[in-house]
Amino acid sequence: MKTISMNNVHKAFGDNQVLKGVTLGVNSGEIFGLLGPSGSGKTTIINILIRQLTADSGETFTDAESHEIGLMLEQDGLFNRLSVMDNMVVFETIYGLPRARTIEALEKVGLGDAQKTIVDKLSKGMRQRLVLARAVLHKPKILFLDEPTSALDPLTARGIYQLIRQLRDEGSTILLTTHNMEEATHLCDRVVLLHGGKIIEEGDPHEICKKYDAHKTLPDLEGVFVQLTGGKLQ
Amino acid sequence: MRHFKAIFRKQFLDLFKNIELLMNFIIYPFIAWLMGTLASPNFDGVPPDIAEMLVAGMPNMVLMMATMFAGMGLIPNIASVIAEDIEKKSLRVLSMAGVKPISYLLGVGGVTFLISVFSTFAFGLIADLASARELLIFVAAMLSAVVASIFLGAMIGILARGQQAASGLTMPAAVVLGFGPMLAQFNGTVRTLMTPFYTQQLNAIVDYFVGGPAAAPLWQSFAIIWGNVLVLGILFAVVYRKKALAKRA
Repeated sequence: MKTISMNNVHKAFGDNQVLKGVTLGVNSGEIFGLLGPSGSGKTTIINILIRQLTADSGETFTDAESHEIGLMLEQDGLFNRLSVMDNMVVFETIYGLPRARTIEALEKVGLGDAQKTIVDKLSKGMRQRLVLARAVLHKPKILFLDEPTSALDPLTARGIYQLIRQLRDEGSTILLTTHNMEEATHLCDRVVLLHGGKIIEEGDPHEICKKYDAHKTLPDLEGVFVQLTGGKLQ
Repeated sequence: MRHFKAIFRKQFLDLFKNIELLMNFIIYPFIAWLMGTLASPNFDGVPPDIAEMLVAGMPNMVLMMATMFAGMGLIPNIASVIAEDIEKKSLRVLSMAGVKPISYLLGVGGVTFLISVFSTFAFGLIADLASARELLIFVAAMLSAVVASIFLGAMIGILARGQQAASGLTMPAAVVLGFGPMLAQFNGTVRTLMTPFYTQQLNAIVDYFVGGPAAAPLWQSFAIIWGNVLVLGILFAVVYRKKALAKRA
């Protein structure tokens, strides 16, 4: 039984066919990566799986109620005029959690000292960390992360990888999107490569690299992607 | 209840950091107070007969500001809050956390209502109404109008495509409901046209306090205001269902 699955899903926005028969399955307790360039359909897949969009055809399944899902999306939805702590307290109250959990979540992402800072004054990286803290606050069953480290410096990104792995070890299923192939190679248990709304390869990232002998062209999955697509955008 | 509490707290804190919205609750009573002060019979340089005329007219002007507050102050206020939360995807995050749209709207509307209670009492005190009974009638009429404005503002907030669009959409409604009763004082046709609107009836109740020409019995004005609340409440429910706030979030 998969925790998340999609079967032959199609989705179009007007004339633009964004997903063309996507089929995928995510096992419980794994880190699953959706890889592909901008416009390949990664965010649309997440929006369908969190039930914010409806697929035109095909079947989807997410084994969690909306409150059992943790979200980190590109548009962060933070309350800009409130402090870091006040933003967290909104969700702490919604989930009925003790204050200690909020402080623990903020410390995990390195925002323990920024509790009183107004969100509007945070750097992009700090905002991203706050969104991650909010997403993991209630220890969700499934965590959707859309480009989780895109605005982070390498050191902070490493800390985030560690946190994502820790959440996986605690039983959360994690689906993340990224265009950073190196990140996916080192972080994900399994990945799918998306191109033009279709899955062009899937599996263990190291196995995929081995299969395509990727090191001969470009390192890791980036080489595989270039081989499979000829480096063309669609 | 937890969800309502979370939204109410968030909105309360946010309001006190959003000076533009907060001003809406302060500026109207402040202008009313200013008018009341200017109407003092002791101010210099004005002939006694003119001062007397001003004093006679001023309580009405003070209460007129209350009508404008209910129409022009609150509608853009609530519409802007909801449109901002939709535009910035905050509402999506809240709905994904399990917050039902009704809890969200009660939380946001609840803060607006609570602060409006203070503004309403401020108007009542500035107007120096003759008795506690009059103050009670005024507060009841004002708060009924506040509820109507909250429904109307929330409806516009849901319909608008973003905060800027909400601001554009609220303007005509706010001008009609805010200025309409003032224009109605000088023009019979406008008065007839404005009769079905709650701010006009609020104004009619205000006239009753200052001994103006009673356009209708008090109960009739209240009935029209509550009719407005009912109609706007139903319209809001229809828009709320049609636009599926949670999905748009």
